[in-house]
Amino acid sequence: MPLSYVLVLAALLFSIGVYGVLARQHAVLVLLSIELMLNAVNINLIAFSAWLQDTGVPGQVFALFIIAVAAAEVGVGLALVILIYRNRRNVDVEGLSLMKW
Amino acid sequence: MEAAWQEGLFFVFATVITVSAIGVVTARNVIHAALFLVATLIGAACIYILMFAEFVAWAQVLVYVGAIVVLMLFGLMLTRAPIGKYGEYDNDQKGLAAIVAAAVFGVTAWVLIDSFEGVELPTDRVAATTSKDVGEAIFSSYVLPFELVSVLLLAALVGAVVIARRDERVTSRTIDAARREKAREEDV
Amino acid sequence: MNLPPIDWHAIAPELVLTAAACLVLVVDLFLPDEAKWIAMPLSAAGLFGTLAAVVSLLGAERVTLAGSFEVNDFALLFKALFCVIGLIILALSLDYFRDGRYHQGEFYFLLLCALLGGVVMASARDLISIFIAIETISIPGIVMAALRKGDVRSNEGSLKFFLFSVLSSALMLYGMSLIYGVTGSTNVDEINQVLPQQHEGLVAVSVFFVVIGFAFKVSAVPFHFWAPDTYEGSPPPVAAFLASASKIGGFVGLLVLMFRAFPAVAEQWRPAFAVLAALTMTVGNLIALRQQHIIRLLAYSGVAQSGYMLVGFALIGANADTNSQAFKATVIYIVIYGLMDLGAFAAAISFARRGGTYFISDYSGLWNRSPALAGLMAAFLLSLAGVPPLAGAWAKLFVFLASIEAQVYWLAVVMGVNAVIAAWYYLAVVKRMFFDVPEVSEPIETPYLLRAAMGLAVLALVASFVYPRLVTDLADRSVLESRGADVELSSP
Repeated sequence: MPLSYVLVLAALLFSIGVYGVLARQHAVLVLLSIELMLNAVNINLIAFSAWLQDTGVPGQVFALFIIAVAAAEVGVGLALVILIYRNRRNVDVEGLSLMKW
Repeated sequence: MEAAWQEGLFFVFATVITVSAIGVVTARNVIHAALFLVATLIGAACIYILMFAEFVAWAQVLVYVGAIVVLMLFGLMLTRAPIGKYGEYDNDQKGLAAIVAAAVFGVTAWVLIDSFEGVELPTDRVAATTSKDVGEAIFSSYVLPFELVSVLLLAALVGAVVIARRDERVTSRTIDAARREKAREEDV
Repeated sequence: MNLPPIDWHAIAPELVLTAAACLVLVVDLFLPDEAKWIAMPLSAAGLFGTLAAVVSLLGAERVTLAGSFEVNDFALLFKALFCVIGLIILALSLDYFRDGRYHQGEFYFLLLCALLGGVVMASARDLISIFIAIETISIPGIVMAALRKGDVRSNEGSLKFFLFSVLSSALMLYGMSLIYGVTGSTNVDEINQVLPQQHEGLVAVSVFFVVIGFAFKVSAVPFHFWAPDTYEGSPPPVAAFLASASKIGGFVGLLVLMFRAFPAVAEQWRPAFAVLAALTMTVGNLIALRQQHIIRLLAYSGVAQSGYMLVGFALIGANADTNSQAFKATVIYIVIYGLMDLGAFAAAISFARRGGTYFISDYSGLWNRSPALAGLMAAFLLSLAGVPPLAGAWAKLFVFLASIEAQVYWLAVVMGVNAVIAAWYYLAVVKRMFFDVPEVSEPIETPYLLRAAMGLAVLALVASFVYPRLVTDLADRSVLESRGADVELSSP
């Protein structure tokens, strides 16, 4: 199976995540889209690791660390969401998009 | 595993992943979006198994699906996200976002296809990629980042508790006022 | 299974700092509310211990853990810088957090964790370590920025900060994954050897993503607009941390990557970095002109200062000598920036603590109310503007000379113009402090600890001006870090 198939899948997933980050308004939905991007990164890493067949499997190790860090990020992020909700009763992020100066 | 099987299964999983990902970014219901993410994550885990990374696949299922998505669902429920009702979840920039995303995909995919032409993935496990090997790698070459990640997780844990915990009715305004009061007392 | 030998001495600073952080957290469990401020001297002791460990490693050149962790003069310089910055922030935060009864033990613990990330970043020579180090700086930073829990605007600012932070990590990681795939390694030296021979488009795309990820962390334009809201919304000592340690951590990572892993392909990137630097300087300065709030002013001025620090990256090319010069100039600027920006924040916080506010209009006539504070604030602002006799002048000059040497003249011109624009708003505050009539005339007493810290900082800035060898020597020794386009120099 050509490696490029997997890489293109990862690129597709990454782009869908980019769309989600830019187009969504609810903070948790933006976070979900970022998780899509991180999964695209993981797919890349595992695919390269399988192809390169290098000792010490840095690709898989990297992917595992990314999963761990993603867990930490989501924990902190949801705590923030809960805090904001408590103070404000909604969690829209109008000014977030990258296009706005 | 024969090449045909590998490719066939890959396309099945790829379809699942793509459809679910599109579901995540377009769902009108927040809970549906989170559940679509579960499908994407499980699809990704299946791909990892296809590429001989079983440990990462299981870690993905346990941590990502089992913990992260559950945490998100809790967060959504605790913040009374409208379940079963449409909310306004998309901002006005959908068109621009689609263009940017398409551009990113176009450029990246073209570059990837061009540079990895003719490169094939192995159909059988060739190198040492079992859990044992991953464990050896982590605890020998990557032990420093590993320990640092544990500190990071501890900090995130403490931090999340500090932020989310309900304190006494103390706001910044009352705190600033209290400070000024105290400073004035000390000066007198 | 064979465990490779661990060079304990090389990781001593990290071990001490980790132990201190955990100790602070545990001690906080047993301290009653009134005594929670004790966590601060404890953290300070931990930082002094880390500094001692760093000093004990002076002159060492060690590589451990399969080449991913390196201790050399460059690494030690920045480890020491992070410790010093940490100590100054501790001095800033004692009163603030004690009076507000804000989560003290947790704050000090998070601060030490974030500094640990910075300390590891200085030695990280491997994509995985760099990634985790930058996350370890960012995530506690996000939590600290959110500590003003009652203020809705602060909450929004920190949520924005969080989302941008995670987004930039995802972008950076995508680039790193492509680099790993293309070169087969995550070690910066090995990447440097293999990267130039790979498919040009793929290399360009992957470096692009990595640079974008870092550009957010160092608040380069157009990824800067999280900064003013986040700085304004967070507790001011945390804003000081974000403006100094967090930004410097990002720059250290960028230095290692651009000068060590990507120099051979950096030639493609000169124009992009040059545009990034020019844009960052200009936009930062122009928006700063209109600010009325000192923290926002410092935020935008910090953006502009990031622009000056980015100039060095626009000068990487084929010539190893200009590379070293650019590297040195950037290192010098970063070190001096850390001190002077932190000093400015310290002065602003001292002013606000005792009856002042964060609005610039309240600084009128500060010279009459508190000559010491006015003098200190003026010193830091003048240094930021690049006025002699303070070290900021040398910092700008070295970067200026490096860009002339690399023959990127237009960037030098842009930098000069920007220095003039920036001087306008820095000097406006100075003038207001010295020549305007104060609205209120009660004197302002600066806390002893802060006065000492700021006084030392100004002393260091003046000393570096008078005797620039102090800083340039450090930069000279750390230049071994950079590699020219001479790929053969890299050792496995």
